Amino acid sequence: MTNTLHRQGARQDLTHDYIIFVHTANGKNREGSAEKIREFMRICEKYHPVNMGDVKQGSMHQDDIAFDGLLRTMGDGTVGAAVFTDLDTLRQVVEELIRADLGICINITGLLDEVRECCRKAGITRHSAEHSLGVWGAKDRLPEREILEFNTMCGHGMVSFNLIRKMIEQVRLRRMTSKQAARMLAKCCECGAFNPARAEALFEQVRERGFLYSERSC
Amino acid sequence: MDIDTTKCVGCGNCHVICTMGVISLDADGKSVVNQDECVECGTCYRVLRSEGYRAWFVRAVRKVLFLFKLGYLADADLCPTGALTPPDLTWPRILRAQFSNPTVVHPGTGVPGRGTDEIKSNEVTGRLRAGEAGLVIEIGRPGIGAFFRDVQTVAMALAPLEPVFEPENPVTLLFEDLKTGRMKEEILNEKVLSAIIELKIRLEKIPAFLRALEKVQHQIDTVISVGVASRCLPDGAIPHEEWVRKAGYPLSSNGKTNLGLGRPLFREDEP
Repeated sequence: MTNTLHRQGARQDLTHDYIIFVHTANGKNREGSAEKIREFMRICEKYHPVNMGDVKQGSMHQDDIAFDGLLRTMGDGTVGAAVFTDLDTLRQVVEELIRADLGICINITGLLDEVRECCRKAGITRHSAEHSLGVWGAKDRLPEREILEFNTMCGHGMVSFNLIRKMIEQVRLRRMTSKQAARMLAKCCECGAFNPARAEALFEQVRERGFLYSERSC
Repeated sequence: MDIDTTKCVGCGNCHVICTMGVISLDADGKSVVNQDECVECGTCYRVLRSEGYRAWFVRAVRKVLFLFKLGYLADADLCPTGALTPPDLTWPRILRAQFSNPTVVHPGTGVPGRGTDEIKSNEVTGRLRAGEAGLVIEIGRPGIGAFFRDVQTVAMALAPLEPVFEPENPVTLLFEDLKTGRMKEEILNEKVLSAIIELKIRLEKIPAFLRALEKVQHQIDTVISVGVASRCLPDGAIPHEEWVRKAGYPLSSNGKTNLGLGRPLFREDEP
């Protein structure tokens, strides 16, 4: 699905938000792909992503998910994902994936010009690309921009507006640290696409400057 | 989702976790789910760990604390008594889980959740070829949800422009008539976290489709996240950018990139 496509935020925040994920196609490269997806996950894990997961098993921030167990139970066609916060690391991951020549489909969500440059440095030309054209329709039903910046990091919509509000409140009252609140949000995201490092930085921002007076727009 | 009222102690943790915000307290102080608005995403059940306490014990502890004007601040990811109970879903309500719970593999696509392969495997499927654009119109996202009647309204506005509805998309499978965009009657009042209408069109038709979407967007009481995709040119340029700009719409700075590492590669001369 388009679960990583519509992430919102300022460009300087998005420079710390890159999701690399694997996909396979039925009848093409899905059959027998489990070991290749495991290898993809092993390569990503070497570079210390801030989140990793498999939509069928859950993410590394959930209480009962360990990396070895996650790998063991991965099957053909599952969608593994890892989140990185800088372009240099992402480029190293891409280079290692090119060398590994797994034959499964690899995608990256992030700033398109930066990802293109990353591909160029790694010696490849991107195959296809997708843009978001933003949110349309009844936008007056949406909450503040900051809440959407957290919420859209889980494109499956598993992180509720109410939970984000509560976590902001807990952080501002110093009942939770930004790190704890970010991990709480990351637990809700099943596929591992949520970026807890960026969430932690966003919590720090809203603690310092507040958020209730921001514009209700996308 | 159901809540076992013999176990619920009304702590309210599930109210906050609920993606649709449709759990509230009843007059007896027990949590209840608004079944019309619940999308069966299962987030409350998955995220809230059961502490396994008996309800009488939790209530007694609270009463004692209350006597001493003390409170207990529980972690946000706990259900003290394990009161949340996933129901057995039947047609058409089962659609709610298929479109809203990403851990459920959709029977029509073989992919978990409400999505499809779209450009994610384009180098091996050739789903979008040179000169074509993919439009992904996700109704209900972010965070508001949508009824299939909303999806039908949008589909009926776009169908006269004669797009190719992606055949393996879970929404396409629910159309009664692809030419009009009419959906099966019995599903119209089912609510989901979001549903994606996925179309394939010629690049030059992008402005016409965006204009049609512009008109219909205010006829539904929910939000729509719109995406556009295409196969890159040999130098890596993105051909749909020009057409979206011509139509007068801004493009996001971030987006999705298929690196083209899948094998076997699709050839443009394949049928």
